[in-house]
Amino acid sequence: MEEIKKAILDFAETSKKTKFYFKDIEKAVKKVIPDAKPREIKKAATALINAEKLIYFSTGSSTMYGLKGRGQTEDH
Amino acid sequence: MAFEPREEQTKLIYDELRIYSDEELNNYTEEELKNFKCKHDIPDLDEMEKGPWPSYVADAKREALHRRNLAEDRMLIHRDVVEDLLGQVQLSFDEGETHWKHGGIVGVFGYGGGVIGRYSDVPDKFPSIAHFHTIRVNQPASKFYDSDYLRTICDLWEFRGSGLMNMHGSTGDMVMLGTFTEQLEPIFFELTHKLQQDIGGSGSNLRTPSCCVGKARCEFACIDTQDMCYEFTHYYQDELHRPAFPYKYKFKFDGCPNCCVASIARSDMSFIGTWRDPIRIDQEAVQAYIGGEIEPAGGSHRGRDWGKFDIQKEVIDRCPTHCMHMEDGKLMINMADCTRCMHCINVMPRALRPGTDTGVSILFGAKAPILEGAQMGILTIPFMRCESPYDNIKEVVEKIWEWWPEEGKNRERLGELIQRQGVRKLLEVLDIPPMPQMVREPRSNPYIFWKEEDVPGGWDRDINDYRSRHKR
Ligand code: SF4
Ligand code: SF4
Repeated sequence: MEEIKKAILDFAETSKKTKFYFKDIEKAVKKVIPDAKPREIKKAATALINAEKLIYFSTGSSTMYGLKGRGQTEDH
Repeated sequence: MAFEPREEQTKLIYDELRIYSDEELNNYTEEELKNFKCKHDIPDLDEMEKGPWPSYVADAKREALHRRNLAEDRMLIHRDVVEDLLGQVQLSFDEGETHWKHGGIVGVFGYGGGVIGRYSDVPDKFPSIAHFHTIRVNQPASKFYDSDYLRTICDLWEFRGSGLMNMHGSTGDMVMLGTFTEQLEPIFFELTHKLQQDIGGSGSNLRTPSCCVGKARCEFACIDTQDMCYEFTHYYQDELHRPAFPYKYKFKFDGCPNCCVASIARSDMSFIGTWRDPIRIDQEAVQAYIGGEIEPAGGSHRGRDWGKFDIQKEVIDRCPTHCMHMEDGKLMINMADCTRCMHCINVMPRALRPGTDTGVSILFGAKAPILEGAQMGILTIPFMRCESPYDNIKEVVEKIWEWWPEEGKNRERLGELIQRQGVRKLLEVLDIPPMPQMVREPRSNPYIFWKEEDVPGGWDRDINDYRSRHKR
């Protein structure tokens, strides 16, 4: 779990785009930890949301994730 | 089956929870309403009130006037929110352009859905709707409310929001329209702690499941839609609130093929109650319909003279599969050909009833047009037993949720993935054989694609062995 969280944060800090889909997170984690299960990745992402490291970014119809403090993160 | 809530529920009592007094709720006269003028000029919206149908403009004006007459400290967002909303809509009509910006980082803590950020892009003109976020409220199964609940939620929304609501549009949920960011957490707190009410789904997650009135009131219900909806809402909470799907995913539950929540057209996974044994026929009641003693269709066409009821014309000839006929004064149905369309049962409900060997049909992939055109659900599982706790059905759900999130592209609905990879792939995922019920039309593709494991010897062959039998 900690390993997955770290992989997510590494990706969120360095990704080209500041907002990304869950699938992008999955891909990035699997690059580092090939046998990570989607369920574990989701759990880790949720834990990071709850720890206020990641944020949800919603367009209304679809949802993206972002790193808190990176890109547009305040209410506009 | 008696309803047993998962958590203890206390009865809401409006008089204990209310925010406004009766005087505050009834704070304008019809005379004042007639003379009401919005602070912005809204000629096109005024025009909309004149049509034959009830207009949201009329409702919005009532609300605007109501807010004008409330004391300043009795609303936590701007008094003018409704008037500014009407003003902005008029501006959009004038310019032929929307002035809403969607989305952003609004939400409540830990939830990835249920709140949709919306902002005006002309806040200088319409400051009261600089923020106009909507909140989706997860409606109870079949939308049963009592007035204590409704009045409490209306008070809450008047106090912390615009007072405008949308009851069960195409999303299904109760939608509270328009509030500011700082009100979101307090509203969520009040909803969950006082009203025992969760918010609904939005974004790339499981959307608020919804169901028809089912066994609570409807004699046609073949499955307990309310129980299923409740069970699936609870069981899949995590998918409802923590988005990790490529796009939205909807469950809807209809008790019979009349499809009152239109699950067949509106949900990625549509559950429709059905039966396997013969339609139950009461031949005496059939005769009573023929004799005009019982009104057809429960009297729903009453009030105009349609002539004498004609069972041949109105029932038998309208059966889509021509599987009914009269024999010695008795109505006969060839059940092997019946597609359970419900027509005959709807016309003669006292004479015909669904069978008693009931279960569910499952259809996949309905959606509105975004990438590809709109499509209806594909009948994939013609019949499945459907009893609490629905483990067999949850297994099907989870098979789909292993495939679609893995193979689906971002923003690709299940129906589009099925189009892209084919129904054959869907059947493989579900591990079920093709069945005649799945065929929508005669085949138009002349090719058959074999899979290696279906061909004896696979793709490899021994060329020498082949040549021993076939000369060059
Ligand atoms: S879908 Fe069928 S069971 Fe449900 S309310 Fe409509 S008619 Fe009744
Ligand atoms: S339910 Fe529909 S298909 Fe079946 S017998 Fe009645 S009319 Fe025909």
